[in-house]
Amino acid sequence: MTTPRYPVDSVTSRRHFLSWSGAAVAATALTAAGCSAPSGSAASDKAAANGTAATAARLTKIGLDYPFTQLPLYSTLVKLSTAGAKKHGISLLTTSDASNADTQATNLNTWVARKVPAIVSFPMVFEAAEPIAKAAMDAGLIWVTYGGSLEHQSADIQFSFREGGTLLGRAAAEWAEQNLGGKGKIAFLTDSTIELGRERTKGMIDAFTKLAPGVDVVAREQAIDPDTGLAKTKAILAKHPDLNIVLGVTDASAYGGFKALQQAGRSKDHGKTFVGGQDGSAPSLLAIKQGTFYRASAALAPKDIAGAIVDVPRAVAAGKANPSAEVPIALVQHGDDKEIDALLAQNSQGTS
Amino acid sequence: MTTVDPALGRPRAFSPVGLSVVRRHPLIAVLAAMVLVFQLTTGSFLDPANLSGIATDAATLAIVAVPLALLVISGYLDLSVGSTLALGGLVAGWLAGQGQSPVVAVLGALAAGAAVGAVNGVLCCYLGLSAFIVTLGMLAAVRGFAQQLFPLPLSGFGSGFAWLGGSRIAGIAAPVVVAGLVLLAGALFLALTPAGRHVFAVGVNREAAYLSGINVRRTPFALFVVTGVAAALAGAIKASVLDSAVAGTSGAGFELTVLTAVLLGGVALSGGSGSVLGVLLGVLFLGGLQNGLTLLNVPTFWQQMAQGIALVAGAALAYFAPRTAR
Repeated sequence: MTTPRYPVDSVTSRRHFLSWSGAAVAATALTAAGCSAPSGSAASDKAAANGTAATAARLTKIGLDYPFTQLPLYSTLVKLSTAGAKKHGISLLTTSDASNADTQATNLNTWVARKVPAIVSFPMVFEAAEPIAKAAMDAGLIWVTYGGSLEHQSADIQFSFREGGTLLGRAAAEWAEQNLGGKGKIAFLTDSTIELGRERTKGMIDAFTKLAPGVDVVAREQAIDPDTGLAKTKAILAKHPDLNIVLGVTDASAYGGFKALQQAGRSKDHGKTFVGGQDGSAPSLLAIKQGTFYRASAALAPKDIAGAIVDVPRAVAAGKANPSAEVPIALVQHGDDKEIDALLAQNSQGTS
Repeated sequence: MTTVDPALGRPRAFSPVGLSVVRRHPLIAVLAAMVLVFQLTTGSFLDPANLSGIATDAATLAIVAVPLALLVISGYLDLSVGSTLALGGLVAGWLAGQGQSPVVAVLGALAAGAAVGAVNGVLCCYLGLSAFIVTLGMLAAVRGFAQQLFPLPLSGFGSGFAWLGGSRIAGIAAPVVVAGLVLLAGALFLALTPAGRHVFAVGVNREAAYLSGINVRRTPFALFVVTGVAAALAGAIKASVLDSAVAGTSGAGFELTVLTAVLLGGVALSGGSGSVLGVLLGVLFLGGLQNGLTLLNVPTFWQQMAQGIALVAGAALAYFAPRTAR
């Protein structure tokens, strides 16, 4: 992308500034449009007209619509998916939804109108995505639903978010039985704002309370980020200084809980404390590897997800019978050094 | 004994100092009631450990709220503080992670914050662009810049850097000491320095202030820079406390929280009035409310409702009470 140069007077006036910035914005927008314009829009139109089968032969672009751009996983996925797509001569487009369902709908409608041949979308509101998916299918495009299923779709990439929570809850319950004699106190850091969070929360709480009924549940607090996890756990500790277990719907919130417990005086390897989260984020993985009381994370492998983002649309395009994929979630604990190193290596690919 | 009402310039009837302060800052009464209710219902709200936790959590809010309040009093606004906080935390964490001393790490963060503040200041004060639009744009731009620079979470900053957020000075958590110094500096600046009076003058009537010989650009520009520096310092403290920083989520929504604290504290969004004591009360109110609702184990959505209602009630009281006091 280039930035045009304009003569600037030695004394910058407001009018000069406004005209300069207006021109710069316009030029930047035009340049950006040029950069991202479909190189084969005519071909795409034709493919759409002939239906998905014809699109298959011309799958040159995949649109990845992952709305949670603030998450570290986003940049890792884009990096890995872009590299994976490139191997097959496919370019990867991305949206910038900024966790906003309205923005997501607008961006997806734009892609459908532009006939992006394959769209992989993680709907924030599945009901809202249904008519857009239908429009995409009607236009002969490939629609792959990420993280769930829609009525109108070519295929899906499934994760069992509830299973991730279940794995974590089960591990914590087993630990409580072995180390606390089935007694103690637990706080859950939950999320009830999006489907993914609700599923993880339900899996985590149901599994734990079923397998460790003697452990007292002292709090269920909304927290998905470390700041909130820290503040909430500090408050819980004020009332329950003997809190034993903190389970988080995300690794980020659990990491805040981990820090709150440390700041309350727990040693890093305290034998009667268990913290666990979900995602497989780098700080948590490192804490697990070091043998701290951050003991477990239900982790998704970015490499597997990125592979599915490219391979599922290709499988649909190739007319394969069962193109959908289910990405496994694995629980990593202290001692799983090989798995942790592999996850850390995959995560680090988002940096370069 | 009589006192002079500064607003009216004439003597008024005797009024105990405490009552007068409460009249000017009705949030004191709300805060006291809130503390009483939470203590009676939870039994642990006033425990030293809990109060220490509230103070530590509220410290970063206070550090940013004070300069932001001065900026609002001068008639401007900075909505980019959440992203600046994230950038400051990331820069400090990254430098610490590279083996730099904590001092260098913090100075790096402060420089980043000053740069953001200077851009805001030039655009708003010298080019006359809308502070709302400029800083809203910077909120997005700085966040994107931080995510581009640091797409992955940073962690493991070392024990030296942990001092900033985790150490205690005379038994008080370091972030609380820093917040106390910022509050004191802000109060002294407003009360005792000519520049402090200029802040009010510019906020009340910019043209009149200009005609009085006050540099109506330099003062708010400096406040923009100081606000950026404060946000970055808060980010460095948060990064130290958490021993991690995430570009996408650190400080997300912080701008609204800090602005809420400032407005709750009685600072007029239109500029020209406000006090550091009011800001402190706003910060304590927000921190105490959040903590108390968690102690009560109030379900998530009820917490949100209760917070919203309490904020509106507090703001209404702060708005109406001074009028009735006159």
